[in-house]
Amino acid sequence: MRTLLVWLAGGLTLAGSSQVALANGWNMPVGVSSLSGEIYGLHMTIFWICVVIGVVVFGAMFYSLFRYRHSKGAKSANFHENTTVEIIWTTIPLLILVGMAVPATATLQKIYDPSDAELDVMVTGQQWRWRYEYLGEDVAFNSNLATPRAQINGEEERGEHYLLEVDEPLVLPINRKVRFLFTSDDVIHAWWVPELAVKQDSIPGFVNENWVRIEEPGIYRGQCAELCGVDHGFMPIVVQAVEEEEFDSWLAERKEAAAEEAMGVDREWGMDELMERGEGVFGSICASCHQPEGQGAPPAFPALAGNEQLIEDADWHIDTVMNGVSGTAMPAFRNTLNPVELASVITYTRNAWGNETGDAIQPSEIAERLEE
Amino acid sequence: MWEVIKSVLAAFLGVQREQQRLKDFERGNPVAFIVTGIVLAAVLVGLIALVAVLAAG
Repeated sequence: MRTLLVWLAGGLTLAGSSQVALANGWNMPVGVSSLSGEIYGLHMTIFWICVVIGVVVFGAMFYSLFRYRHSKGAKSANFHENTTVEIIWTTIPLLILVGMAVPATATLQKIYDPSDAELDVMVTGQQWRWRYEYLGEDVAFNSNLATPRAQINGEEERGEHYLLEVDEPLVLPINRKVRFLFTSDDVIHAWWVPELAVKQDSIPGFVNENWVRIEEPGIYRGQCAELCGVDHGFMPIVVQAVEEEEFDSWLAERKEAAAEEAMGVDREWGMDELMERGEGVFGSICASCHQPEGQGAPPAFPALAGNEQLIEDADWHIDTVMNGVSGTAMPAFRNTLNPVELASVITYTRNAWGNETGDAIQPSEIAERLEE
Repeated sequence: MWEVIKSVLAAFLGVQREQQRLKDFERGNPVAFIVTGIVLAAVLVGLIALVAVLAAG
């Protein structure tokens, strides 16, 4: 009996140290959404059930090993079957499993009920960034990694949010039910933000649903959770949860900016403004593969600087950026970038790093080709 | 008949008395067990579906 107590004490020590592990961030977070606390509670309930089973089973085993050891003259029993014991050890796990399935199913039902959402956000994974579209609001943008290349290459000290920072976070209101629609442009990605208790695959050709009602304002970070290519680690997620009024004014501002941008399609753009805009687009969208100086990384990512086909054939160049090249890593950008962004980045790549074609591609021209 | 049902239910759980097992094999005709097994499996599926429908309702 004393030995059993020793084992129980050992088990409790282990259990105690898992409390420490929680504090150290080894465990999943309690989170800030209406369901995340419930999911955490479910996880902990099942964890403790497992701990109790582990302590009892291994306790009984080690106790028996020690108490009835051969050196003390123990003789092994020799019998063939015992129906009562078999029924007991079959029924108990059955009851435990059903007991765990009941609360788990109750929570899953809530997770799978995206009805009555007040805001729909389409989340599209793309190698290697996330695109957010506020459905019905005409607001959409790409969210790119903002960590400087110098930090990644080890030339600079790493910042506080190394690889977990983006140029434009997903802004969401608190206390509103937000429905997410997940899909992908290329390969399978997964949108994962632990604090929101949302982890959902984004699959090309499919639309997955999930929802969240955030209860505390703040910045919540996450990552792509499905290996999706070389820059899988470089497409983080940042969610900025704000008060409802703040969100409404932010959305109104973005809508206005989007409307202004749409008007800009029709006017004639000057070379300088196209180049300036294009440099920004190139930096956030193209440079991760084609490199900041357009030198590329052959053979996977061809050089743009001094690329003869690009310089000679503007039509091919525009088509390549708009529609991508199937069978290669070059995606189609016709749905990711708007006409102004497409025109300016094409103009930029036709005139930067010694590609002096002098071509100024107009947004109106791109808009026409997009409609074909 | 009741004996057959009991044996099939025991098989569902995966535990059976050796005595009962030997007795079952004396019957010589497996058809009763097969038919009972199929019927009870359908009942089990129906029960699970019922629980799922009630839970979702």
